[in-house]
Amino acid sequence: MMWLSGGFIFRKGYSFYHRLDPRAKLLNSALMFVTTLLARSIFEMVLVVAFMVGLSAAATVLKRVARTMAFTALFSGFIFVVNVLFTRDLETSVLYATRFVAIVVSTSIFFITTSPDELEQVMKMFRLPRDVVFAFVTAVRFIPVMMLDTIQIMDAQKSRGLELEKGNLVRRVRNMIPILIPLVVNSVVRSGELAEAMEARAYGAAPKPTSLLEYRARRVDIGVACASVVLFALAAYSFYFVIPVQFP
Amino acid sequence: MGDILKIEGLNFRYPESPRNAVSDFELSIPEGEIAVLAGPSGCGKSTLLRTVNGLIPHMYGGEYSGDVIVAGSSVKGSSMRDLAQTVGFLFQNPENQIFMFTVERDVAFGLENLGVPREEMRSRVDEALRLLRIGDLAQRAPHELSDGQKQRVALAGVLAMRPKLVILDEPTSLLDPKTASELVTLVARLREELGTTFVVVEHRLDLLVGVADRLVVMDGGRKVLEGSPRDVLFGDDAEAHGVAIPAVTRVQKALTESKGGRAVAGGLLTPSELASAVEGRRR
Amino acid sequence: MIEFRGVTFVHQNGVKALDGVSLRVEAGEFVALVGENGAGKTTLVKHVTGLLKPASGSVLVDGVDTKEASTAQLSRKVGVAFQNPDHQLFSETVEEEMSFALRNFGFSPELVRNRVTWGLELFGLEEYRKSSPLVLSGGEKKRLTLACILAWDPQVVILDEPTVGQDSIQKERLAGTIQMLKSAGKTVMVVSHDIEFLWPIQPRVVVMKGGRVVGDGPSADLMQDRDLLGSARVAQPQLVEFYQELHRRPGTPFVHALDAARWAEESLQP
Repeated sequence: MMWLSGGFIFRKGYSFYHRLDPRAKLLNSALMFVTTLLARSIFEMVLVVAFMVGLSAAATVLKRVARTMAFTALFSGFIFVVNVLFTRDLETSVLYATRFVAIVVSTSIFFITTSPDELEQVMKMFRLPRDVVFAFVTAVRFIPVMMLDTIQIMDAQKSRGLELEKGNLVRRVRNMIPILIPLVVNSVVRSGELAEAMEARAYGAAPKPTSLLEYRARRVDIGVACASVVLFALAAYSFYFVIPVQFP
Repeated sequence: MGDILKIEGLNFRYPESPRNAVSDFELSIPEGEIAVLAGPSGCGKSTLLRTVNGLIPHMYGGEYSGDVIVAGSSVKGSSMRDLAQTVGFLFQNPENQIFMFTVERDVAFGLENLGVPREEMRSRVDEALRLLRIGDLAQRAPHELSDGQKQRVALAGVLAMRPKLVILDEPTSLLDPKTASELVTLVARLREELGTTFVVVEHRLDLLVGVADRLVVMDGGRKVLEGSPRDVLFGDDAEAHGVAIPAVTRVQKALTESKGGRAVAGGLLTPSELASAVEGRRR
Repeated sequence: MIEFRGVTFVHQNGVKALDGVSLRVEAGEFVALVGENGAGKTTLVKHVTGLLKPASGSVLVDGVDTKEASTAQLSRKVGVAFQNPDHQLFSETVEEEMSFALRNFGFSPELVRNRVTWGLELFGLEEYRKSSPLVLSGGEKKRLTLACILAWDPQVVILDEPTVGQDSIQKERLAGTIQMLKSAGKTVMVVSHDIEFLWPIQPRVVVMKGGRVVGDGPSADLMQDRDLLGSARVAQPQLVEFYQELHRRPGTPFVHALDAARWAEESLQP
């Protein structure tokens, strides 16, 4: 949970990167992702990671990306151990382990700099059905509300003598019942109210709903997109033709 | 001006319920009025409101007879699409009617659903933000707003659809008194500026009686009292139907009924108006 | 009974919810906590049962520092009825719902049965004994949550916004219950925006603003402090406003604010 919220939940930011068109950010992250797959040596991988770290710094999200990397390190350590055991090849194992970190970072940069609003636009671009997009939107919208609900429910039950940390495993699981039932009931009530409010505001009335937001790519967006493509091409070219293959 | 809302012989019973939630209901509200609907908990207010904006019978099944006519068209025969543009509904909990991640997107939500072109949507959203004086919140996320601000955002989303009739379901129950009275002032101002009709369900009459033209009291699914706020609150029956008589109205009533009471006759007075009236009488 | 000594509390997001609060509530007192949303009232209440612990300063309940005790231990002495009943109702029957806390506190089955019956009768809920709490109306749910708390007979009863969504008949009943608790010697704290509800029952009023206690005194005096209430965004009771308007005019004899209504009536008699 901590790892998730640190690495993938959007927080408001005002850097040039935050303000980019979500499509440019998506393209950039996708290309970084592919580049990590292309890198064939530790040296190349270090280059890719260094680039992403530089980008995070420019986007003022270095701290959060660093935290993501720290958390991911646990998993990548596991990958390293498994690889060493099976391949007995230290370099390959290091490469795979760092590649995992790099993959997570490339996606994380996209998610922490892209607002839910922009995510919604991206989903629409992929022609996902409106209901699916809207379900996603409301789910994300109500995460903080439900977290607050959970705290209030826990407070109320603790005030009635419920001790969550007491007893053996079975007892602890049973102690969750007084928390979970009100949470579910509240969510059901809430969805009923949401459904009414949606109806009252003509959800689904027009076959082609419009959108207040317009994503018109500005020069800087196109510039960044082009730069991403050029850098990607450059990286791919040098990985295969310039940097001497030390490995495998 | 004609009646914006006409309810004629309405009966409604939820599926599998032994009794009617609304019985033999008759009501006419002229355009531009602020009408207050009061009554004890569970008296059928919420159900009645849902028959006006069409959630009943379009979303909920049940036994329905009689007719509800809004701006000349029968609710039964209108689509939710049309009704959403004539009747605005502000639900009790603003949290559960804000869908989007920024205030301006949420205000635009209904217009997006209707397929309003972008330029027109932009101007209508800006107008709604301006009317509610929340332009500075346009880019905020819902969880960054106070309860009072959420209520305004939700109301802006309703007004952006330019409804002729707006229903407010206990709009102040989650607000502190100052924020609540600011909301009431706002409603009065919107009525003046836009000519919108408001139907407000409310327990806290002390805030509303000053701006209301009509007070309707429901009990057990029926309309039991109707009239000007003064007539209803000065009557002997209101209290028995769970209507909270504002403290100052109680005094005004006592003074009016006492021997020297002529000076405090007339409409319902605020505390300071009543003080002036008492002083004038004493001289 | 309850003592706050220079309590400061900062939320995770950096907002200072309590800022040097010192407050003493004696056993048997009836205190109303007022102030606008976000003034820190609920945060203060959560400190009494140890749901939140002070960042600095200390909170004592019946002589026990809340840092030294669990919420369960503190709750045995302090019953809190939170604002939204839907945040706690979870049992299959009303009876079960009421037994929950009593079992947590280790009451004997016989005592549980007696207390549940007592509570159901007190709040007129006997007919729902075997029904699901979820089918009750909003007002009944609120009464049930109060019954749940009184059943274990805590020394302190705290009610958070008890009048929200209640009609005038239910409010009158609630005022009666508070009166009963007072005469039973309980310490009662009410957090409420509903000034009109509080005025006739005349509690000691504590005004909060921005995490601080900015006013503390008997209702009859404090409710006349227009400047204080205005700055804390608390409304004045209508009768006090009326009384003060009247008093501002020449020739008005001094009467107590509580008597304003009766006096106005008398002064008009020919």
